[in-house]
Amino acid sequence: MAKVIVKDLHKSYGDNEVLKGLNLEVEDNEVVCMIGPSGSGKSTFLRCLNDLEVPTQGQIVISGYDLSDKGTNINLVRENIGMVFQHFNLFPHLSVMQNITLAPVQLNKESKETADVTAHALLKTVGLADKADAMPNSLSGGQQQRVAIARALAMKPKIMLFDEPTSALDPEMVGDVLDVMKKLAADGMTMIVVTHEMGFAKEVADRVVFMSDGLIQESGKPEDVFDHPKSPRLQDFLDKVINV
Amino acid sequence: MKKWQVAVVMVLATLGSWFAFASTAQAKTYTIATDTTFAPFEFQAKGGKYKGIDIDILNAIAKKENINYKLKAISFGAAVQQLSANQVDGVIAGMNITPERKQTFDFSDAYYTSGVVMAVAKGSSVKNFKDLKGKTVALKTGTAGATYAKSIQSKYGFKIKYFNDSNNMYNDVKVGNSAACFEDYPVMSYGIKNGIALKIVSKQYEAGDYGFAVKKGKNAELLAKFDAGLKAIKADGQYKKIVDKYLHSSESSLTGETASSRTFIGLFTQNLDTIGSGLWMTLVLTVVSIVLATILGMILGVLGVMPGKLGPAISSTIIYIFRGMPLMVLAFFIYIGFPDLIGHGFKIPAFVAGMITLMLNEGAYTGAFVKGGFQAVDDGQMEAARSLGLPYWTAMRKVIMPQGIRIMIPSFINQFIITLKDTSILSVIGIVELTQTGTLIIARNFEGFKIWLMIAIIYLIIITLLTWLSNWVQRRMN
Ligand SMILES: Nc1ncnc2c1ncn2[C@@H]1O[C@H](COP(=O)(O)OP(=O)(O)O)[C@@H](O)[C@H]1O
Ligand SMILES: [Mg+2]
Repeated sequence: MAKVIVKDLHKSYGDNEVLKGLNLEVEDNEVVCMIGPSGSGKSTFLRCLNDLEVPTQGQIVISGYDLSDKGTNINLVRENIGMVFQHFNLFPHLSVMQNITLAPVQLNKESKETADVTAHALLKTVGLADKADAMPNSLSGGQQQRVAIARALAMKPKIMLFDEPTSALDPEMVGDVLDVMKKLAADGMTMIVVTHEMGFAKEVADRVVFMSDGLIQESGKPEDVFDHPKSPRLQDFLDKVINV
Repeated sequence: MKKWQVAVVMVLATLGSWFAFASTAQAKTYTIATDTTFAPFEFQAKGGKYKGIDIDILNAIAKKENINYKLKAISFGAAVQQLSANQVDGVIAGMNITPERKQTFDFSDAYYTSGVVMAVAKGSSVKNFKDLKGKTVALKTGTAGATYAKSIQSKYGFKIKYFNDSNNMYNDVKVGNSAACFEDYPVMSYGIKNGIALKIVSKQYEAGDYGFAVKKGKNAELLAKFDAGLKAIKADGQYKKIVDKYLHSSESSLTGETASSRTFIGLFTQNLDTIGSGLWMTLVLTVVSIVLATILGMILGVLGVMPGKLGPAISSTIIYIFRGMPLMVLAFFIYIGFPDLIGHGFKIPAFVAGMITLMLNEGAYTGAFVKGGFQAVDDGQMEAARSLGLPYWTAMRKVIMPQGIRIMIPSFINQFIITLKDTSILSVIGIVELTQTGTLIIARNFEGFKIWLMIAIIYLIIITLLTWLSNWVQRRMN
């Protein structure tokens, strides 16, 4: 069974229908990149996947858990889904180390000691081994985002969701974050990445999904989507992005 | 149970047992209320003990008739209210027997007869009632003097200003804010003899009888004993001795203060015990109330930001009610109104009532800024915590609260200082805290300026210390 199954997903805020019947399946180890104009509902879609938003209609099944089923323990589902936000959302009152170990320790996944060992290993992976005791505010944006990735990974998730992880960063910081994500993809992590980094999408994605107006307009292999766009909307979107 | 849960349970249990004790107070001991400031009938002598004609008569009668009683000094108005609300068993406070009062109370035989006089400032040109036209007259609420002045108000065309306390009334006349005051003759002449710069300019009007009062239809046995005892002490000469002692001697011989102790330092050292116990009460009340208000405020704040509609609705309703109600009204409601509602002789000790009052009022203010503090934490924090799989309450405790509380620290410090100052309002329900201590000391030595200065300085010192302490805590946390 696919890792993520989304069927006929609708989401409205009052009269404003943001998602208008989305269908998507993501396989194990697959990396899906989502592109599309701002306001098209990409963030809303990602947030529906871990229940930060409750869909108005439709079905979401993740690793076998049906989110619309009242009996599903949402906290358990969330442990399996790591999420990385555009603005990092690190906990400013906790050190880098404490940010990473908070959830595993609180949820009794690991003892404090093993969590510390895991955290050090993760910090090494994201290239911040020397920042364990730093406070988030003393780090650059790129460093903070890498800590945020390490924090999500500490729960040993089976799926990672990224919502424009580099768009709040200074250009010179973007590379380091993307490198970490590439490493993750190479290690076989299942990932859904909302991004404007077309280079990254081309290189890493197994599939690129183009969203516009609350619907998936087109999807396929990166080279098909980028080099042979079918719909005029996608052509229009790519023109704009590439001309920037 | 977690540590904080244990703490909450303990506080509730303590409160509960207090109520239980209060409602099962021993049947044999009567609680008799008196005024705080009505020399020579009642006043506090050095060291905090009450003295005066009323007090000594009551004591002499009680000895003769074997009455067990506990004296409770509160303002006259509160004493009368509490008697009608069944909070006390009797009142002896230079209380005039009037037809109106007889509707609600049963009175003993008259134990003293006195009339109302008008007094003006020493240098005043006001000589009679006609001179009062267009001027302001100071009155003490609920007294015979007030009733008499009210009855002649329209005839002589003066304005009226009310006080709860004789000394404040005298002072208003002394400094010239009011042109005159009306007071019972023995009280006025005693005060003047002891240094109040007023003079009596009228004869005695509306001579009236003072009586000991119980609630109508209640405590008939106590009343009968009082009457019998009064006869006995009149017969054996004790009564005359008591009255003479207070009407024909000077203040200092009664209070134990010497003239040389009227300097600022002298007054301070003389009254150190009284001030100290008032200060202690203020501090205890402040600390206990701050702890309770903080607990309540945190609960209200957490409810206020809870998902769903119920929590926020409960929180904002409670905040709305208790923030909107003046502290004094709330204090009276809890101390007098609430037991009245429950009935069955239910009583709340003044300290507990004061504590609950402050808890509710300061707790509502605290709740409002705690809620605001939590709301000021970026929404992304809760989302990030939840996305890691942390349950709502864990996310609240580990992520939102620590950040919110940091934002709130200046508000907490501010609230602590306000709580400390607000304890002074609780003097209205008879709690003898620092402010009430000041009133009591002035009631016997009339040194208004020096004593209030002393009290003000003490408040400033504690507030300064509290601010330092808070700043230190704040630095530690950052
Ligand atoms: N909490 C919300 N309440 C109301 N409208 C919202 C909310 N969140 C998002 N929207 C609306 O949904 C639409 C899609 O937003 P979003 O999913 O953030 O788009 P994208 O991430 O593709 O830029 C926008 O029009 C936005 O205004
Ligand atoms: Mg977005």
